[in-house]
Amino acid sequence: MEYLSLFTKSIFVDNMIFAYFLGMCSFLAVSKNVKTAAGLGLAVIFVLLVTLPINYLLNTYVLAPDALIKGVDLSFLSFIVFIAVIAAIVQVVEMVVEKFSPELYSSLGIFLPLIAVNCAILGGSLFMQQKDFLNIGEATVYSLGSGLGWFLAIVSLAAIREKMAYSNVPAALKGLGITFITVGLMGIAFMTFMGISL
Amino acid sequence: MNTNNNVYTVIYTTVIVVIVAALLAFVSQSLKGKQDANEKADTISQMLTSAQYGTKEEISGLGNAAVLEKYSQEIEKAFVIDLEGNVVRELEGNEVYSAKQLKRQNYNIKGGPNKTGEPELPVFVFKNGRTVVPIYGAGLWGPIWGYMSFETDLKTIGGAYFDHESETAGLGARIKDDPSFQAEFVGEVADFSSENVFDIVKGGAPKDAEGKSVVDNKIDAISGATMTSQGLDAAIDTWLAAYAKYFVNNAPKQEESCCGEETETCEGACEESNQEVEE
Amino acid sequence: MDAKLKETILNPIFKGNPITVLVLGICSSLAVTVTLKGALVMALSVIVVTGISSLILSLLRKTIPGRVRIIVQLVVVAMMVILVDQILKSFEATYAIDKQLSVYIGLIITNCIVMGRIEAFALGNKPWPSFLDGVANGAGYGLILLVVAFFRELLGSGTLFGIDILNRFGYVPNNLVILPPFALILLGCIVWVQRSIQKDLQEK
Repeated sequence: MEYLSLFTKSIFVDNMIFAYFLGMCSFLAVSKNVKTAAGLGLAVIFVLLVTLPINYLLNTYVLAPDALIKGVDLSFLSFIVFIAVIAAIVQVVEMVVEKFSPELYSSLGIFLPLIAVNCAILGGSLFMQQKDFLNIGEATVYSLGSGLGWFLAIVSLAAIREKMAYSNVPAALKGLGITFITVGLMGIAFMTFMGISL
Repeated sequence: MNTNNNVYTVIYTTVIVVIVAALLAFVSQSLKGKQDANEKADTISQMLTSAQYGTKEEISGLGNAAVLEKYSQEIEKAFVIDLEGNVVRELEGNEVYSAKQLKRQNYNIKGGPNKTGEPELPVFVFKNGRTVVPIYGAGLWGPIWGYMSFETDLKTIGGAYFDHESETAGLGARIKDDPSFQAEFVGEVADFSSENVFDIVKGGAPKDAEGKSVVDNKIDAISGATMTSQGLDAAIDTWLAAYAKYFVNNAPKQEESCCGEETETCEGACEESNQEVEE
Repeated sequence: MDAKLKETILNPIFKGNPITVLVLGICSSLAVTVTLKGALVMALSVIVVTGISSLILSLLRKTIPGRVRIIVQLVVVAMMVILVDQILKSFEATYAIDKQLSVYIGLIITNCIVMGRIEAFALGNKPWPSFLDGVANGAGYGLILLVVAFFRELLGSGTLFGIDILNRFGYVPNNLVILPPFALILLGCIVWVQRSIQKDLQEK
């Protein structure tokens, strides 16, 4: 597949949030203002970009049937290997962020360690396994694209929510309820990308 | 107990990982047989569906054992051919090609870095005269595959069944869930002489007053599922083109010599003209 | 059964529902609510995974080294998920559903409910209450899944559990309902209804 079309497709068509609902927990919780949202978005891009190619290599050269030893199929271990890689990388990212940007660290709070259990990250690796990319280049492009797609989604939702603070929403719908509906409507808007041939 | 000690941490993690890995390896080994049997029965029921032995639900509903039994009763011969249409080997003992194996063959047909050898193209001939061949390709989200059956003239499509991993429910997933889409294939004629063996057209294939498509090798795409339809179209073209030589070489000879003669291979081809005569 | 235990079980199902109140575990769940059958299998899988991993980690809670806490949790949860996945693949009856759920079974690992309850409850409580807490949270999650799936299958396909309900009356299935975004809109409406009844949950 062409890198550029794969890239565009993973941002808009295969959007982690609007097409797969992946990473919703932190997506809903950290989208109250644009600045924190952008910070978390960047962290997700970074973690995806690092973990997905590593998991690709592990999947191709260790876990796939016949990859390590002829006749041995380790693919049942893939969930555990992927999540272990992700947890380890997140730990490193957490330490780096804490050292170089304490401000970002304190504003991300609990959500940085929770990136390890952010479905978008594990989802990225599982979809990588399912899509079986031809080479590591494609896997990297895909990881960058889906990270950017997630970033785009959370920043735009945060922007809408900032404006929505001034709107007159029914009391029971305030906060969570209207956010769900907004995300749903944004998802419908994103579906228009599905018909584009890439 | 001091649980923050380095040695303790390392030993603890190692022990946990070893226990978990051993448990999982044991479970996965002991369940593998059953899982493979399920996969095989699923594949066979898809082939039986495409050969029109019933709907997918009816066939799968029989249970694994009955599906396998039906297959061994109904299969006439099964073999693997190469791109030239020559038989490479026979398929023995209910051996079939699952989606995973089709994936490998798909790489072999298309070439490129993942090619592992010459393509092995399985052909399944059933006792009702239909010849079933698989197809495999990429949809919008993930792989799509399926089986198409051909009548004895080796160009009229007798039936089709498609499956997918993760197409959009209600849109792309209709290639699997919507029997009316699969029914559209029935009676269409594949054109093995051209590169576009079969077309799934957006915006509608030409139709007559009754809504039957009039051009032989074209059917309607699914509205709202452009990418899945295109992917299916490409998958069918790629795979049927790989089978083209076999189909052309083994097709019964021209119809003009057929009509009038009451040979078995001609039955289907002459039905129409016979009816006209009767009228 | 004493009152505290009862509270542990009932709270997550209604008042402290993990999805609509705690906003946990929305990730993987909504994509599987197209059919009731898929939602039911997903709900049961989540109940099993949350229940048993809470139990195991509660038993281990005093021995787990602090620094690798998250990783140990993930390993146990991932193990449970792989077991569930392997078992679903092995039975004739569930094989087709496992195929339909595809990657979403794997994504139970990162379902925030599982990790959230382990962190918040299992690591500080005895095994039996932890197990019940896990099961109850799984059930609260499953309840919402089933409600969403009920409407989506009824309106989107005109069926329930694959049995024709509306189509026989000439109902034309609505494709919008089947598409992913509608699940979110429906969830928003469920939150709306719940918060209209329980006014104390409303946000300012």
